[in-house]
Amino acid sequence: MTTEHAPASMYRATEGLGVWEHKGKVAAVGIGHSPTTRRWDGTPENTMGANSIFALRQAIADSGVDPSQIDGLVLDPVTTTGAHWPPGDPIPMDVVNHWNKTDDPLDGIAKLSAEWILKNMPELTNVKFTMYGQGCMSHAIVVAAQAVGEGRTHTCLVLKSWHNLEGRYNQSGISAQGEVPGTFALAPGRTLWGAPGSYGTALQFAEYCRKYGKSHDMMAPFMENSRRNGLLFPEGYWAQHRPEQLTPDDYLNARWIAKPANLFDNDIPIMVSGAYLFTTAERAKDMKQKPVYIINHASSRGAQRSVLPTLDEVEAETAATGRKIYEGAGITADDLSFENMYDGFALFHQFHIEGLRYRGMQNGDALDFYQKDISIEGPDPILPSGGNIGSGRSRFWMHTDCIQQIQGRAGARALTGVKPEIGVSGGPMPMGGNFTVWSATPD
Amino acid sequence: MAILISFDIDGTLEVGDPPGVLTMDLVRKTKEAGILIGSCSDRPISGQRAIWEQHGIEVDFAVSKHQLPDVKQRFDAEIYYHIGDREDLDRQYALAAGFEFFWPDEAVSEPWLK
Repeated sequence: MTTEHAPASMYRATEGLGVWEHKGKVAAVGIGHSPTTRRWDGTPENTMGANSIFALRQAIADSGVDPSQIDGLVLDPVTTTGAHWPPGDPIPMDVVNHWNKTDDPLDGIAKLSAEWILKNMPELTNVKFTMYGQGCMSHAIVVAAQAVGEGRTHTCLVLKSWHNLEGRYNQSGISAQGEVPGTFALAPGRTLWGAPGSYGTALQFAEYCRKYGKSHDMMAPFMENSRRNGLLFPEGYWAQHRPEQLTPDDYLNARWIAKPANLFDNDIPIMVSGAYLFTTAERAKDMKQKPVYIINHASSRGAQRSVLPTLDEVEAETAATGRKIYEGAGITADDLSFENMYDGFALFHQFHIEGLRYRGMQNGDALDFYQKDISIEGPDPILPSGGNIGSGRSRFWMHTDCIQQIQGRAGARALTGVKPEIGVSGGPMPMGGNFTVWSATPD
Repeated sequence: MAILISFDIDGTLEVGDPPGVLTMDLVRKTKEAGILIGSCSDRPISGQRAIWEQHGIEVDFAVSKHQLPDVKQRFDAEIYYHIGDREDLDRQYALAAGFEFFWPDEAVSEPWLK
């Protein structure tokens, strides 16, 4: 079975599409996560592929479905943004051969195909639909939701995995070459030839502060809140390995990476896999967990005029994304119980939530909003998942949190200041990403 | 002669992630020798202090990577050392701040006691 990348027709990337035709007909039910680690330890048992299988089996068990009922699999085949296998480094064949391999020896170690998963999960006997949503879980989710809505699959696993190798991020792969294209060197991140990954966001944030009279120090309550929420997320890296709070003093004393982005404005790369089980609203009724209905998905495909997006371009795109999110769900900003927009880099979270007009916010309001009660106990929760800042780079804590909050399974992180009925999550970038609206009811 | 030693944590001390070759006993012994000691790490300052408290070691300072010049300003010593495992974030920062520098494997033999 050949696995294709999702066609453009599966994304809702423009305004004016009306309410999503499959609103409330697709539901998330099961959740699974692997344990987190900072880096791969070189053993076959702890590869990214092994983590993937662990997370998928957890999601299946959590849903209470028999694996033979599963007929779909959507995943991201790319499992890093900066930990590339160094060219010329020997591939450990004992690890490769520990698993049922594909033609690519790095499959299951530093990349992931649907074929590798199916070869190594013999219980998935009935999968007839596979597709790639490349980039992050946000991408895979909208592809899976649309696929279930269109009837391509009725019980679908959604997977996102991350590997992290020994050594420093973004300093292998093309970055280790003697020459790189100028466009690559200029682009933010992913290269030691150019500026740090966060420099584009840092420039936008600097302009934001200048335009609205704000400061980087005003981010401290957001950072403290995010880490606090992350430490209440037992699946996350900080909760599992270094349960330490990030205080405002810690944050304000960190060194600059790309001023005004400091060390903690950047998320920590980790090894982790996350999986969900999506199904039709009808089938979800008979499963083990409470269904969380998907009432819309929307995509952002912003175009910038130059090397980096300007603040004006970012604000225009996030506002358009907000309108698409609400239009397709048939709701308004007032209907949102909470938000879980992306935060890796921390300095662009405010662009996402201002674009949403969350709690009536306009451009330039978010940092003042952060000075109020933004906790999970308050009426205006910000990022209850804690996001990547709270739990490490997965780009899926925000989705897991939306599902868990609405299912009533968020544990110590449960929202108490609002009743979690409708949440929104997605990302990654303000100029490009994929977003999902989750609801306790189908309508 | 007053000596000040700054320890990086990750990749340098045994409690780091990854663990380094320098033991907490070595740090304790250094303190007992009357040397001013502390940490200079990318870990949050509160996290650094928590590590020292957990091991019962009273340090003179705990700072972020870029704050070695502040340490030099705060403490009067004849010689300042920083020990770390990274060329860019330890050695270069240390030399720029006017510190002498040891790699962790060089520091195991406690050259400051000789």
